[in-house]
Amino acid sequence: MLIGGTTINGVFNAILSFSANNPVLAKYMTTMFRWVFVVLAIYILLRCIMSLLSTRATPEVWGYFYVQDGVSTPITHWENIIGRSNSADLTIPLKTISKTHAILGRRPNGQWIFKDLGSKNGTIINGVELKPNKRYLINPGDQIIMGGVYCTLAGISVEESMNLQRMRSLDKEPVSPWKILVAITAFQILTAVQLVLGMGEKMSASSLLAIVLLCGLMWGYVMFFKAMGRKGFEMEMIAFFMSTINLAVTASSAPSETMKQFIAIVLGISLMIFMCIFLRDLQRTKKIRPVLAGLSVLLLLFNLTFGTLKYGAANWVTIGGFSFQPSELVKLAFICIGAASLEELYNKKNIYLYAMFSLFCLGSLAMMGDFGTALIFFVTYLVVSFMRSGDFSKLILTVVGAGAMGIMVLRFKPYIASRFATWGHVWEFADSTGYQQTRTMAYGAGGGLLGIGAGNGSLKYIGASNTDLVFGFVMEEWGFIIAVLLVLCLITLSLFAVNSIVAGRSSFFTIGACGAATMFMFQTMLNIFGAVDLFPLTGVTFPFVSAGGTSMLTSWAMLAYFKASDMRKDASLAISKEKDPSTLEF
Amino acid sequence: MKKLERRAAICLALAAVLFLGIVYFGWKFVTHGGEWASFYGNTQIYTNGMINRGTIYDRNGELLLNCTPDGIQYSSDSAIRKSTVHAVGDPKGNVATGAINMWKDQLIGYDILNGTYDTTSEGKSITLTIDSKANKTAYNALNGREGTVGVFNYKTGEVMCMVSTPTFDPAGTEPSDPNSSVYFNTFLMGTLTPGSTFKLVTAAAAYDTLDDIGSFGFTCDGTNTYEGEKIKCTSNHGHVNFETALAKSCNGAFGSLTRQVGPATMGEYVKELGFTDSINVDGIETAAGSFTFPENSPIDLSWAGIGQYQDLVNPCAMMVYVGSIANEGEAVEPTLLKGSNFLDRISSGKSLGRYLDKNTADKLKQMMKYDVQMTYGEGNFPGLDIYAKSGTAEVGTSKSNSWFVGFIDDPKHPYAFVVWIKGAGTGYTAAGPVARNVLNTLIAEN
Repeated sequence: MLIGGTTINGVFNAILSFSANNPVLAKYMTTMFRWVFVVLAIYILLRCIMSLLSTRATPEVWGYFYVQDGVSTPITHWENIIGRSNSADLTIPLKTISKTHAILGRRPNGQWIFKDLGSKNGTIINGVELKPNKRYLINPGDQIIMGGVYCTLAGISVEESMNLQRMRSLDKEPVSPWKILVAITAFQILTAVQLVLGMGEKMSASSLLAIVLLCGLMWGYVMFFKAMGRKGFEMEMIAFFMSTINLAVTASSAPSETMKQFIAIVLGISLMIFMCIFLRDLQRTKKIRPVLAGLSVLLLLFNLTFGTLKYGAANWVTIGGFSFQPSELVKLAFICIGAASLEELYNKKNIYLYAMFSLFCLGSLAMMGDFGTALIFFVTYLVVSFMRSGDFSKLILTVVGAGAMGIMVLRFKPYIASRFATWGHVWEFADSTGYQQTRTMAYGAGGGLLGIGAGNGSLKYIGASNTDLVFGFVMEEWGFIIAVLLVLCLITLSLFAVNSIVAGRSSFFTIGACGAATMFMFQTMLNIFGAVDLFPLTGVTFPFVSAGGTSMLTSWAMLAYFKASDMRKDASLAISKEKDPSTLEF
Repeated sequence: MKKLERRAAICLALAAVLFLGIVYFGWKFVTHGGEWASFYGNTQIYTNGMINRGTIYDRNGELLLNCTPDGIQYSSDSAIRKSTVHAVGDPKGNVATGAINMWKDQLIGYDILNGTYDTTSEGKSITLTIDSKANKTAYNALNGREGTVGVFNYKTGEVMCMVSTPTFDPAGTEPSDPNSSVYFNTFLMGTLTPGSTFKLVTAAAAYDTLDDIGSFGFTCDGTNTYEGEKIKCTSNHGHVNFETALAKSCNGAFGSLTRQVGPATMGEYVKELGFTDSINVDGIETAAGSFTFPENSPIDLSWAGIGQYQDLVNPCAMMVYVGSIANEGEAVEPTLLKGSNFLDRISSGKSLGRYLDKNTADKLKQMMKYDVQMTYGEGNFPGLDIYAKSGTAEVGTSKSNSWFVGFIDDPKHPYAFVVWIKGAGTGYTAAGPVARNVLNTLIAEN
């Protein structure tokens, strides 16, 4: 570290004196770098985006379901609905079968369970009539009679399993990470140089070191998991790229904070890896939910008691000189608690518990005055509960109810109401309530498509520029193209999450990924649209890009939910590796 | 699981909202980016509320204004500063028509690709079409009187001279009242009583619409009582025909012509000759003139055709009209920004359409020459092939306002001009020499 530090200082001083001695050349370098940055960013992000969107995993097959006089259907999920409706996973289009008749589930240990969902004509297995909503263990070959229709379950043979493995290995593979890694590294090196050119003496050597360390961390991460046989790294690449922008934003606006930001990235990646491995086991994950709920409640209560006020919201807690936002961590738990397996979706009690937990979170956030985060929790709740129930009218009802509540809040919180008054005409309030938004747009537009170069910006002198207004910050220093690419990356993660449902093992991971996607997207929406006057300014962070340790940590950890939905063969570290079928014992 | 696939559409909807929001913002960024970037709060380009980059030159490369982060540098000549301030503008933006206000984007060097990032080492600049030496000549010739002088090239539309007084020295202290008259550009934004210069309009209408215009005759007794009311002339003009009526500027004769043309046709002519519309000078919308041609009051109608009554013209519009007479009836849009590329330099100006038939234009041109020969004296304009009409607008004050409008027929210097001086008395004696000096300076310098 000491040697590293000395070298960094040497490099820093070398660039500094070069720039001081050759101001015109330094200027031309910046002029050129702006192009290089955009080209590299387009290359890096489009490759990742294309790879994520173009590969669709061939579903794994866990067994076959035979219907009397019918065809056999492959069972492609751990959780399957059997029923008459088209939306059932195993459709039996006969009148005597209920629309959603039963659930057929596979346990990780290979056992199968069957549950009749209170169907009209009932289910008989091996001559035993099933009690509705009760779980039964069944075996391949058991005779299943649903509404008079004879069905049976067949396991998968070794040969079939090997065929399938071969089919899956024919799927388009995730893009190889190496070229992208080289491109990101080039981006990082040029970023470091440009920051010194742009800021001169104001830049700190420790900021440079943080960027170099991030580069090392990225290579280490990819090489390690590549060696472990994992293939999909697009999401991490996107996150590493966005983290690079984050470090550059921090270095430009608050150089002394850059190293802290890097540490948050390390912690975030560690938490993500831990969560990925934890999520591999569905039963374990399901069991941890009450613990997470309890911890979240305690964290929020702790926050309510000891919170300190910052920018109008008491959502910060300081322990031993280290301050963080508990609500950011609760976001992670909120997704996990909201997610549910297919079986749980047919249990009303579950959704009420989740609704109560959500209400508690919203209430706590409202009491802290953090209405932006409360809104994010609320929208995530809406999406998750809709995914769970499919009840559109309830969704509308909740929105209307919440809207009424919102109007009440506006009446009692004049400072929020004033933001609504400014909304849509910030230019008329350019030096009062529209101060931040007008600066965001002015400086952001000043960046043009290519930006004016890292470290050269002026938005950084405006309050909350590297958090709430970070979109304008990126527009100014990095240009509109890169700023928009960052948003497209987050959109891509969401599309990927939705896309992966087809091959999803359990609805738990699917709901988790969609919940995380909602959080990312809605948060981004509030952040960007608030800063540029398409929404009232709420003061929330842009995932991965805004400065702030807790936000960075959460963004990385949230990635685990996306990783857990990545069903491409051997791609994700959140999915237990497929065993070679020839070694399976029967 | 299939159910979830369908329900996940809500996630896609959210993604669509985010995406559409970004597209919408992108559209606003493209259409409003320049405006946003040139917001006064942008310290990249403003220091203490004053623009801190960009240079403005006149047509001959004379520096008029140079903005730097350390302050603003003007021309070293105070007469040039004062005479060009309405074209150049002031950094505080009090002069609404100033280049610094109107074409801020170009000074800042904003373009969508680079934003405000300056890719050059010397900064961006604007070159105006005006000649600062001619402006200075005009300013000096006005000699402290309130007035305005405008000259443009009636082929290319380039405004060669634009001065408005009262004015101020931008390097000195500016009046704190943003509505102060010194900030007002009379040439572009003023509307004034045209007096006899308006007879050029009435003449065009009469020539086009009266079949027996060739045999028109009127006997002026100096008082010209019509229906019990007087239409006074400066003197007893005796018998005049169409040509001599204009040369002698006979009110009685033009009152008669106006009544023959009729109110409806007069209204059509002021509209077709561009007097009732704004002219777009590179984004500056000039003030539109206004006229009333009453149906039921022959006397008021007569005065309206003589350029009195409620007539108000914009000096720039008058210049464009006389330019169209010189240009065989074709009107050219005035411009203040000098084109930077070769194509802009050789191509002719943007047409505002045909104001007059070629015949009518030729007839008016011939009559304006006759006017100069008979009334103003060609000897007063040595070396200039000048065509003109003067005006002495009565606005109820003791001294009338002087007008002198016209053009010179010189293929190398196709200039049309308008001079207006407040309270200077008889048109051609007061305003004529100002026009002569400015034209001579322009010919010498260009």
